[in-house]
Amino acid sequence: MVLTSCSLLRLQPGTTGSIQKIEGMNPILRRRLADLGVSEGVMIRLKGKGPFMGPITLECNGQLFAIRRKEASMIEVKVS
Amino acid sequence: MSSIALVGNPNTGKTSLFNTLTSSYEYVGNWAGVTVEKKIGSLKNGAGKLIDLPGIYSLHPLSRDEGVAAQYLIEETPEALINIVDASQLERNLLLTLQLLEYGKPTILGLNMTDVAKARGIQVNPDILNERLGIPVLPLIARTGKGTSQVLSVLEQPSHIPPVTFQLNYGDIAEQAIASIVAQLQKISGLPNLRWVALQLMEQNPVILELLKKRTDISGLLLIADAAQTRLQQEKLALTLPQWIRSVRMDYIRMVCADAIDSTLQKPHNLTERLDSILTHRFLGLPLFIVFMYAMFKTTFDWIGGPLSDLLDGFIGGPLSDWTNSLLGTIGASEFTHALIVDGLIGGVGGVLVFVPQIFILFLMISFLEDSGYMARVCLLMDSTMERMGLNGKAFIPFIIGFGCNVPAIMAARSIEQPKDRLLTTLLMPLMSCSARLPVYLLFAAVFFPAQQATAVLSMYVMGVVFALILCKFFSKHLFKNETSIFIIELPPYRMPQFKTLSRSTWEKGKGFLRKAGTIILAGSVLIWLMSYAGPGGLNVDMDHSFLAKFGGFIAPLLQPLGFGTWQAGSTLVPGFLAKEVVVSTMNIIYHAPDAAGLEGQIASVFTPLSSISFMAFILLYIPCLATVGVIKKETASWKWTFFSMGYSLVLAYAVSLVIYQGGRLLGWS
Repeated sequence: MVLTSCSLLRLQPGTTGSIQKIEGMNPILRRRLADLGVSEGVMIRLKGKGPFMGPITLECNGQLFAIRRKEASMIEVKVS
Repeated sequence: MSSIALVGNPNTGKTSLFNTLTSSYEYVGNWAGVTVEKKIGSLKNGAGKLIDLPGIYSLHPLSRDEGVAAQYLIEETPEALINIVDASQLERNLLLTLQLLEYGKPTILGLNMTDVAKARGIQVNPDILNERLGIPVLPLIARTGKGTSQVLSVLEQPSHIPPVTFQLNYGDIAEQAIASIVAQLQKISGLPNLRWVALQLMEQNPVILELLKKRTDISGLLLIADAAQTRLQQEKLALTLPQWIRSVRMDYIRMVCADAIDSTLQKPHNLTERLDSILTHRFLGLPLFIVFMYAMFKTTFDWIGGPLSDLLDGFIGGPLSDWTNSLLGTIGASEFTHALIVDGLIGGVGGVLVFVPQIFILFLMISFLEDSGYMARVCLLMDSTMERMGLNGKAFIPFIIGFGCNVPAIMAARSIEQPKDRLLTTLLMPLMSCSARLPVYLLFAAVFFPAQQATAVLSMYVMGVVFALILCKFFSKHLFKNETSIFIIELPPYRMPQFKTLSRSTWEKGKGFLRKAGTIILAGSVLIWLMSYAGPGGLNVDMDHSFLAKFGGFIAPLLQPLGFGTWQAGSTLVPGFLAKEVVVSTMNIIYHAPDAAGLEGQIASVFTPLSSISFMAFILLYIPCLATVGVIKKETASWKWTFFSMGYSLVLAYAVSLVIYQGGRLLGWS
């Protein structure tokens, strides 16, 4: 099994990774993500990418939510 | 009377539960100092009052809505709390639950959406939750009302709810800090649970810090917290104190959930997955949304709302006026009273009441989109476009509501987390053509563009949106230079809205309009009528010699370059500031028009097609109505921004109308 770390944006829609690092994010957004249970070590799934470079849809702990690509690129995930 | 607060995360079914537990809204008002709606209802069993707090993820507020909950808990003392959690999202929901348990008031945990959880293969054991958290746990399906009778019977005697004994151990370092902070807090009276206050202080909750600052010098308390944080860093336990507190809570929650939840059979949201694959599709999503919007406007104005308005118009202009006439004749009312009631009241207020069906239908559909979960997707779809304009996708919903009425729309902007985005949305809202401006467009379009009525009306809406986008870019570049906007939105699973909730929220949104019709518009109509009835020469003068004509004539020269420099046009503008609905009712009064056809004939002889476009544009853009100005003042809490919004719109209106009229004339139009 090969483990690779990459930005969340690089995941294929429908695949899951575990969050390694969240760095450089706007603190308000960081807090809101934490409220949703998005933090290091948690499994996160990329559901889809919005039109016109719009936000991407994610699923974490059974909750669907969306953030912008710029911010999603600050989440590093590990895929197996 | 005891008061019980209903607290929970957004989208957990709080409103459904509130509606089933209470028989009536006792009071909908504002929280002190902030204009977040405060909903209080009487419990069905008469045991007390239920207070619905805004949905929050934690007590640490990010938006103004959320600040209210923390403020409520610290400033008022509810006898008990109902914490409603979503059984299919338990892990996340319990974070708030722990903060509430630390608050120390008797608490009931309403385990809602057990049906949804079960359907998704998630089994939650309420007994284990009860044992671990030490509070009554009641499984619920708030949508259908299942389990709510148990909640009511527990609330029968709020004093019988067992006291909370829950206490989490935050480890030696944090516990020492808590103990010394608590010791200092003891000197201050009137605080709720001191351990809770200490923890909220250590978490840097701005509402708590603010409150403590008012009562005492908190620098000493902050030093204790800082020292604890440094020790945590030295021991490599956590980077910050709030992070440490959160991680201790999360560890505990994971432990509870591991025992209480059986998710071995968990299935994905099938319906939501399938709907989202179409509705948020990267290519199909936006076109579909545009189709929905088109259908929504068609339904509001053409298919259902229009015919209903016509019926109402027929009734007010026909039977109601006739009855009133004959009734007034029978009781022998004076000529003055007669004219006041028929021309002033029925003519003025009646001309506005005919829009009630359209407004309620629009609000009903907006409520449907909100409750079904689609609105959140719309924000998602629109975010990239809105971001380019310097706003975020969440501003889109307020703008849509703005087509109904700017007042609730500005209030809806509260769900936007960042102050800059909220302020921009508020400032630009008046550019959305609210339903009050529609009658003006409809009137002029019917007279001058009978073949392209829908296009003419739609182009006014589009003009407002285009200016909003341009100004948005401009303002966000020049007024808020260095502020970025953030975007995060939760996408709730799709669900079928309930009729009861829909009708209640439609009523909540729409009744403001009725209230306006009964107050400002009524008073405005009477005043305008009086000004047209009286003049320097006495009462019942010829309209051309009335006070209204004198006043309209005074501002008419200013309007001459715009193409409508008559006293009649001029005198609609000032009452139009009271409420844009009054523009048409003023015209009804001024032109002494018995019905729509009569008014249209008069308009046709006074305006030209070009000056009518110029006039419509002016009505669209100039100064927001009084109620909107009031709500802008309330929401921004600043006279500067209030005057700014009035000023920029007036300047914009004048410039645009000038360009339209003079430009059109240069091109040889009339």
